[in-house]
Amino acid sequence: MLHPHIHIHINFPMVLKVIGWLLMIESAFMVIPFATCLIYGEADFKCFALTITITAIAGALMTFGIHPRRTDMGKREGFLLTALVWVFFSIFGMLPFIFSVEPISVSDAFFEAMSGFTTTGASVMTSVEALSHGILMWRSLMQWLGGMGIILFTLAVLPMLNYSGGMQMFNAEVTGITHDKIRPRISQTAKGLWGVYFVLTLILTLLLWIGPMSFFDSVCHAFSSMSTGGFSTRDNSVGAWNSDYVKVVITIFMFLGGVNFSLMYRASFGDFKCLWRNDVFKSYLRIVLVTYVMFVIAICHQGQVKSIESITIEPMFQIISTITSTGLTVNNFESWGTFVLALVFLLMFFGSCAGSTSGGAKIDRLIYLLKNTRNEIYRCIHPNTVLSVRVNGKMVPNDIVSKVIAFLCIYVMIIMLGGIVLTACGIPLVDAFFSSFSCVSNTGLGAGVTGYGESYEIIPDIGKWILSLLMLTGRLELFTVIILFTPGFWKK
Amino acid sequence: MRIIIAGAGEVGSHLAKLLSREEQDVTLIDQDAERLSIIDANYNLMTIQGSPTSFDVIAGSGAAQCDLFIAVTPFEARNVTACCIAKGIGAKRTVARIDNYEYMRQSHREFFNRIGVDSLIYPEYLAAKEIVTALERTWVRNWFEIHNGELIVVGVKMRENSELEGMQLKELAMKQHLFHVAAIKRNHETIIPRGDDYFLANDIIYFTSRREHIDEIRRMCGKKQNDVKKVLIMGGSRIALRLTALAGDKYKFKIIDIDKEKCIRLAERCPDARIVYGDARDIDTLREEGITDIDAFIALTNSSEINILASLSAKEYGVRKTIAEVEDIQFISQAESLNIGTIINKKLLASSHIFQLLLDADSESSKFMALADADVAEIEVRPKSKITKGAVKDLHLSRDMTIAGLIRDGKGMLVSGNTIIQPGDHVVVFCLQGAIHKIERLFN
Repeated sequence: MLHPHIHIHINFPMVLKVIGWLLMIESAFMVIPFATCLIYGEADFKCFALTITITAIAGALMTFGIHPRRTDMGKREGFLLTALVWVFFSIFGMLPFIFSVEPISVSDAFFEAMSGFTTTGASVMTSVEALSHGILMWRSLMQWLGGMGIILFTLAVLPMLNYSGGMQMFNAEVTGITHDKIRPRISQTAKGLWGVYFVLTLILTLLLWIGPMSFFDSVCHAFSSMSTGGFSTRDNSVGAWNSDYVKVVITIFMFLGGVNFSLMYRASFGDFKCLWRNDVFKSYLRIVLVTYVMFVIAICHQGQVKSIESITIEPMFQIISTITSTGLTVNNFESWGTFVLALVFLLMFFGSCAGSTSGGAKIDRLIYLLKNTRNEIYRCIHPNTVLSVRVNGKMVPNDIVSKVIAFLCIYVMIIMLGGIVLTACGIPLVDAFFSSFSCVSNTGLGAGVTGYGESYEIIPDIGKWILSLLMLTGRLELFTVIILFTPGFWKK
Repeated sequence: MRIIIAGAGEVGSHLAKLLSREEQDVTLIDQDAERLSIIDANYNLMTIQGSPTSFDVIAGSGAAQCDLFIAVTPFEARNVTACCIAKGIGAKRTVARIDNYEYMRQSHREFFNRIGVDSLIYPEYLAAKEIVTALERTWVRNWFEIHNGELIVVGVKMRENSELEGMQLKELAMKQHLFHVAAIKRNHETIIPRGDDYFLANDIIYFTSRREHIDEIRRMCGKKQNDVKKVLIMGGSRIALRLTALAGDKYKFKIIDIDKEKCIRLAERCPDARIVYGDARDIDTLREEGITDIDAFIALTNSSEINILASLSAKEYGVRKTIAEVEDIQFISQAESLNIGTIINKKLLASSHIFQLLLDADSESSKFMALADADVAEIEVRPKSKITKGAVKDLHLSRDMTIAGLIRDGKGMLVSGNTIIQPGDHVVVFCLQGAIHKIERLFN
């Protein structure tokens, strides 16, 4: 008889042991930037060698040094582990920045690493071209890892998490309201999603490499575009190549990065109909097209039509980059006027489909909200009508609708709260709210958009830590992080 | 193995959880989204909301590639329909839960195969069979016959008066080679014992032996066989109905039920049994019906708690053998420690039956056993499988399983460390929960 364990304490030893495993995986990934340094003959190989050693030793100590008395993990451990993994990954992921030839402060490094893993793409670097190839590779790689999810990657490769505890972590990390499984077992689901992600990244790398980019730049941009993160290898970002081909290719793949990956998994098996049957995907397309028309009108109105590209590729690039929370900007974005900026805010707020690599509150929730609002308005006149929120042909239970509304309220409150705290750190009002918004939605549009400094470097240290927390909260879709701050979570 | 389960009721969800723990690919179909969402969020399996008799839903669940389709909704007709559809779509093997004894007849087997139902499970029938075995042998907790009774696994509760009490397993092994101790259940936990483990009072010990040595086991455990004639059944459930039909006139049954309508129906369907309309929780009713001189008391109401408590009070009135249906799996272990003779659980019986199908063994010749946290399976050894690669002691079997015995050329024999298992042998494996997939690896 297996007795259901009565959870009195949170199983900390087991949580740390699993994190140890994950750190060893992280150290394995660090070999890639290490090798990059060696290939380019850069002095930064030392910083990676040191980081790999530290991370691997720390991971091994935690894994083999801790002997938990029980191995079960429940809901609490699932939430705690998921949130902690992202923090631990950022702590060890920031080491290369600290040990590099041109070191940056701990606050800066942690911000950069967290911004990487959460695919926010906000940077403290004023000039990335001054950085070594290894560091650039590591920044992009962090985004790639964080894009699909660290836990999800582990579920795909480590059989040890393949039980119900792994389920909790899957639910805590994957974005969206409900989590579709594409295959019966969680490891197969994770493998499927990572498989799609990997193949798309590979195709993007090849496409970029065929174009004007070097192999190194192609890989870095493939990593940061597919994960909708937005780190670049040039100060001028994608604009540096001055190539329409690069922009078009990256636009297409950022768009794909904003689509639900389980949907793409199904489509990759020839079931393209599932895309057209999916309300969220259809809305995603519609939003993109409608905002495109509005952008074009706004650009024309501002008299910024200089060439055919400025009303085709450039606005499209900007829209996709914003809605998928990548956060890349085209060169003359500021000249399009404030209406465009307002539209950008709206796109940032909702982001794209749940289950994708993008940030924001997700279109799924927007649909639930709008359909529910429509019902409520109709009910004002016909109070006895029984109405339901229908998405993808299925009725959504009321408790899910109320969870979505709660999510959106908390989402706005967190942005506000973050903004208020940042103003206390001495940041001007508009910029404080904008950076808070930009970090919670994981977009990472430069602070430069609001005309406050060139990069996030200008924000005081305490502000960087707050923004890091906001990024994590946004990436794990609020509840996973917020629950850790409730006393009920820790109570026996 | 890809398994689709239609129906997330008691049996269905229990099976789904169990099979997902056994590292099988499980998809669970049910109409009730709420019921599914709880399982979906906590177990490593996929759920699909929809009608189990819809072509689209069954095809969408991947029936075309599935190895086993199990229909266990509460409705027999739906289960059969679902199996027909699944088989039509391409399921390799289908199982339907039924509720009609007629369907189990051998002569109808061919008909069911033709329409696409490969196997039938009838949990109430399995439970009734289990009860009959328990009535025949009052001194055992569990009795499992393997390969037409060539080998027998018995679970016996150890009392202080037993001569085995306090003895070490290896001492016993030096004395005799008539039986093998496969497992010991101690304080809610089943262990696979080693030579240096002791027998303690209140353990339930699982012996494997040949039929002729069973009496020796009984003697060593200090048990007596009581012949049962008068049986009192509390609750006129489907199991009770099945039981009276199965046992025929071997026993004198008296069924007490609280529902008058039900009593009238029972009276119509069980001509041999005496039906009493009354509340069996009431001591006076029990006394009136002669609780003091009956031989066995069987509690089969819907409530596990009532069954357990009623069995305990029957024991106080001097009833030698008590049997209780306990459907809440959490309670089984508690009930076992409370001195209830035999515990019946439909879910475990059904799921063990399905495990047997999974292992592809011949479910006809062996009685498959269901314990709360362990299973016994009879498996035919295929040529070149890992288990034939050496003497048992050199195979380094994992600690959660043991080879309890084997059947070679139709003859049961015990296994020692030096035995080399040959292809074609039927091996009886005793394994703790979650280890069945390891067995598969060993035998394929």
